[in-house]
Amino acid sequence: MAQATAFYLTGLIMNASRFSGLLLVAPAVLFIAGLFVYPLSYSFIDAFTVAGDAADAGTRFSLANFVLAFELYGDDIVFTVLIVSLSAVLIASGAILIGGYITLGTNRFLVNAVRILYRWPLFIPFIVAAQCMRTFLAKNGLMNGVLIEMGMLTPLETTGFLDWRGIVITFVWKQLPFVALLVTGAMASLDRAGIEAARDLGAGRLRILWQIVVPQVMPTLIVALVLSIVTMMSVLSVPVMISGHSPTMMTVQMAFRVNAYHDYGTANALGVISYLITGLVAWIYLRRGVAGKGGEK
Amino acid sequence: MKFKTLGFATTLAMAISAHAQAESILNVATAGSENMVEYVNQYLAPKFRELHPDVTVRVIGTGPGDAGSNAIMERLSAQKDAGASADIDVAVVHEKPVGKMVTDGLLAKYAASADTASLVSSDKAKNALGVDVEGYVMPMFQSQTAWAYHPALVSNPPKSYAELSDWVKENPGVFGYNGIRNGMSGVSFVNGWMYAFTGEADKMMKGPFDASLVGSEKWNAALADLKEFNKNVTFTPGNAGTLDMLNRGEIGIGPVWVDMFYSWQADGRVNPEIKLMLPEPGMPGQPMHYVIPETSKQRDLAVEFIELATSPEVQAHGIVEQFNWYPGIDAKYLESELSADVWDKLFADITPEDLATKSLSFPLVGYFDAILTSYERDVE
Repeated sequence: MAQATAFYLTGLIMNASRFSGLLLVAPAVLFIAGLFVYPLSYSFIDAFTVAGDAADAGTRFSLANFVLAFELYGDDIVFTVLIVSLSAVLIASGAILIGGYITLGTNRFLVNAVRILYRWPLFIPFIVAAQCMRTFLAKNGLMNGVLIEMGMLTPLETTGFLDWRGIVITFVWKQLPFVALLVTGAMASLDRAGIEAARDLGAGRLRILWQIVVPQVMPTLIVALVLSIVTMMSVLSVPVMISGHSPTMMTVQMAFRVNAYHDYGTANALGVISYLITGLVAWIYLRRGVAGKGGEK
Repeated sequence: MKFKTLGFATTLAMAISAHAQAESILNVATAGSENMVEYVNQYLAPKFRELHPDVTVRVIGTGPGDAGSNAIMERLSAQKDAGASADIDVAVVHEKPVGKMVTDGLLAKYAASADTASLVSSDKAKNALGVDVEGYVMPMFQSQTAWAYHPALVSNPPKSYAELSDWVKENPGVFGYNGIRNGMSGVSFVNGWMYAFTGEADKMMKGPFDASLVGSEKWNAALADLKEFNKNVTFTPGNAGTLDMLNRGEIGIGPVWVDMFYSWQADGRVNPEIKLMLPEPGMPGQPMHYVIPETSKQRDLAVEFIELATSPEVQAHGIVEQFNWYPGIDAKYLESELSADVWDKLFADITPEDLATKSLSFPLVGYFDAILTSYERDVE
């Protein structure tokens, strides 16, 4: 009897906690549904519809928006993928080097200096970074000015970097600290015994980094890169402020379709393509995660 | 203690709401860059407040370029569809979207009731890129694109599009513009190019729209030349980017907005030696228009606001003297208001005669969009 009551009470409490749990997540779910899922599905449908033939025909299903998107902006889609991939590779290398130095470095002063300095760009918004780069990377900008003062360049040898290179430089500068922060954290929590053992056996620091440390932080590195790729795919200010000329990134063309032609259909089609690209990246990551769990572990 | 605070708060709230009831609010939405919001907020609103101490002018900036005007149009259109009255009383919009706003029945035909209507002489108040807008709009100002050049780098600038097209071959990279995606100075340059090399400027500005011109032999030839031309130019990042690059000496000549150029020069952001010129056969400029939504609840107050904004005094000191725009009303009504210095400065590089002959309008919406699409397809 007592047991039954206790059981009943436990059930009641669990139900109550389940209910309050639902109540707790409800605002977040509603928020996502109202401000993300609803507009997303709206855009998605819009990408696949065009105005009907007759004046009062309403809308009908069509792939015309996608045809136009590929016809006019095919180059830009490729350009976007290349820019983001190159940036991701550079960010990954930079983050491994920074994290590796902080984890394996021996000069305490330098390690601390790197630890403090590398995070600064985290606190600067993309639009500010883009505006700074616009004057920093220009042909007669600050960077070339300094190089000329140092005698490393003559004024005639200077070139501006306000093209794809400027976009990559800005992305790397802005996203490197974020990835480095996560990677450094993961490296700091590694069991140092493996590192010490490798060192005792005479492995150099680069070899320890590459063969011992990096494989262990790979999951963190990939999560950080996926997040960075998604962020870079969505930034408008950097490509528009550094180089708006064709080929440019897809975000610029989406804004252009809306601003110049009032054409949301093609802009949404580009949006869907952009989603598919980021979706593919996320899928590769998930697949890898599942394989990792089902495999050796 | 708590009750005291509560009592104080209640009194305060009552006082505020009583105050709010006595005041009415005039909502002014303006498209355009920061300087537009600044002009309405810091110059026009306080002046209106002197006339109507009981009216608060609330200014909303909706963003630069046609996109800013589109935002106003979309809002008014949504409110119309919902059967609600507009929450905007006065709007400042660009030339391209205003025609659609008129044909969609979003705007009130108010100009006849404004005292200052007789001061407006520009054709642009009657026709906006092919759409009859007479009575629905009053121009706030005219702005104009032109070529800015640095005499130290380009001592003898090309005087026309035709000369420029040859000149860049000998001086590659010295001319810079911002393409079509990054500000209207580049779009204006491209439109000017099409006017110059198709020889159909008149048809493209005045209509009627003739679809056979798009994709015709001369149309395609002009675009092919532009593609060739683009190989020898520097691309700049935006309207501001062109001015920045001119200022740093990275390019020697490029298309800019006249008002932006003078404002930057006055702020010390552009080298004072850089000069302006209007090339043959001319370049487009555009007005910004004051409009009143059809369902604004404060029509009379809105008209009074626009009367103030288009009065010779405000046009002279606000539009011309402080913000370096060309006046929206006929310039002859400003002469008595302006000092000779200000007048001379405005017309130093580009004379009133230049403006009369070489200040063109943008093409009809049909040609406008066709030029952009052709540029995307055939030039880039």
